[in-house]
Amino acid sequence: MDSLIHIEHIMKIYNPGENEVRALDDVSLDIQSGEFVAIIGQSGSGKSTLMNMLGCLDTPTSGQYILSGEDVSHLSDNQLSDIRNKQIGFIFQGFNLISNLTALENVELPLIYRGMPAKERRECSLEALKIVGLEHRVHHKPSEMSGGQQQRVAIARAIAAKPPVILADEPTGNLDSGSTKEIMKILHELHDSGRTVILITHDDEIAANAKRVVRIMDGKIESDFTKEQ
Amino acid sequence: MSQLKEYIKMAFFNILSNKIRSLLTMLGIIIGISSVILIMSLGNGFKNMITSQLDSIGTGQIAIMSMSDTDLITLDDLEYIKENVEGIQSYLFTDSRQGTISTPKGDFDAYAYGCNADNYLFEQYSVLSKGAYFSEDDYENGKMVCYISEDDAIKLFGNTDVIGMTVDINIQGRIVEYRIIGLTTFADNASLVSYSYENAPIYLNVPLTTFESALGLSLPEDTYAANLMLADGADSKSTCDEVINILESRHNCKGTDTFQIQSFSDYMATINMVINMITLFISLVAAISLLVGGVGVMNIMLVSVTERTREIGIRKALGAKTSSIMLQFLSESAFLTMVGGILGILGGYVGAFLISQIVSLVAPTYAFTPSIGVGAVLITTLFSSAVGIFFGIYPARKAAKLSPIEALRRM
Repeated sequence: MDSLIHIEHIMKIYNPGENEVRALDDVSLDIQSGEFVAIIGQSGSGKSTLMNMLGCLDTPTSGQYILSGEDVSHLSDNQLSDIRNKQIGFIFQGFNLISNLTALENVELPLIYRGMPAKERRECSLEALKIVGLEHRVHHKPSEMSGGQQQRVAIARAIAAKPPVILADEPTGNLDSGSTKEIMKILHELHDSGRTVILITHDDEIAANAKRVVRIMDGKIESDFTKEQ
Repeated sequence: MSQLKEYIKMAFFNILSNKIRSLLTMLGIIIGISSVILIMSLGNGFKNMITSQLDSIGTGQIAIMSMSDTDLITLDDLEYIKENVEGIQSYLFTDSRQGTISTPKGDFDAYAYGCNADNYLFEQYSVLSKGAYFSEDDYENGKMVCYISEDDAIKLFGNTDVIGMTVDINIQGRIVEYRIIGLTTFADNASLVSYSYENAPIYLNVPLTTFESALGLSLPEDTYAANLMLADGADSKSTCDEVINILESRHNCKGTDTFQIQSFSDYMATINMVINMITLFISLVAAISLLVGGVGVMNIMLVSVTERTREIGIRKALGAKTSSIMLQFLSESAFLTMVGGILGILGGYVGAFLISQIVSLVAPTYAFTPSIGVGAVLITTLFSSAVGIFFGIYPARKAAKLSPIEALRRM
């Protein structure tokens, strides 16, 4: 079976020449559809670079990245925008909601860029907000919500377009323990409903939520461990 | 295209959420556009006023001139043209003599203005208020009659109840007596030409033939310049050609430019052109302020791009293409300047209206209505939007070219 994500000998080198930094050094990784994977590493380990690469925010210096059967290693900026829009749902540490838009409008954003008609867009967005339990706060601005609620809006935004991959970058980094539990519960539910969730974190405890843990250090994969049920 | 609607909506909400800043940004455009509209509508209104006044004054008049010292226009020429050219209704042939008039009200400088009986046709800015003009018969027989203006009647006699009274004028030592048979007053259209001053001479309009019969002067037989009156509905151009043709063949000077013609519409065209040029010039000066306003818009958009770097990063991460970001920021600046333009049009027109109201209070004779064409309004609106797009391109490009990773990293 073809993997959803297939990375082969990826290199990312900054400042090529004397002081070159190998942020990713010959990384190969396969993630199947429906997996719940945690990528764990300390800051400077290269996990952010790997997440940028997986999220199609950046292109590798060399190597190949095949996402849903399509080679995305050397696409143009606009093509990458398209891939991100259709394939990937981002959840960021800082929530990254747009402050002067309501929860609903924030969730609608990726659907607007996809060119979905207004009525359908609204239905998808409301459904996504319902999944994260925020159907009663759709017209609130981010500043009127708690951190946990904001992150739930961000999750709704990530899943509204039903992308195959959900990429969560330290999703609980700015949250208290109560909200953290809440968010992890939602991620589990998403995984249970058949979505592929990739969790990037530096926290072993958070990473323990995932069935498979990939540890990265100095730009290389140090270990790749799948728990037995 | 449905996406374009979304970008315009986004731009609209962004402008609304920054009301004060948006208004200040627009101010430059508002001032620029409103000064352009102000100047144009004042210029148009003023031109309309002059045109309507001069139009009724000069209608149908043609001036013919001789450019030669030997081939002058003779009375016979004029009579011949009047008889034989279908498009010519009449001609004006005049001479005047200076003199003095003494009445119980005082001594006055005066002119006896000798003319043919059709003179009244050429009186474009006065109308008969009492009595009659002198007739063809009065002219032929050299009757000692005259008509004067009401202003002159008041100067001479203190009132306008003067029909039938006589007035003595001393011309070069000879005193002749004219009976007043008509009074004239300024026509409505004459605000530009109706002026009188303290010691203005008195004008007696008299039959030219009385200069010979009463004063023993020989009548002039030719003139350097004379006026012709077009018949109703006659074509000015072809009639002028015909007149020139006749004059040239009668004076045996075909193809030389001895005789020249100027119709009043030529003067009008010149006057209109001068006003248009002045309006255009001032509008261009005002348009410079639009440029300044445009730079203001660019400046604010640049600030906005910097402020919203993170937002741009989020949008790009969510799948916004370079063109989407570009369109969003362009719609924002175009929207700002378009709204500014519309406010400016309103402001300019209201300003012009206020000025015209003040003028009509202070100087009612120069009252005019400001006017601005739909075309000018459309062009101005399009132009101000174009200013927004032009000055928005640089900031929008800057925003659109941001890398999403860089943009997201910024807090």
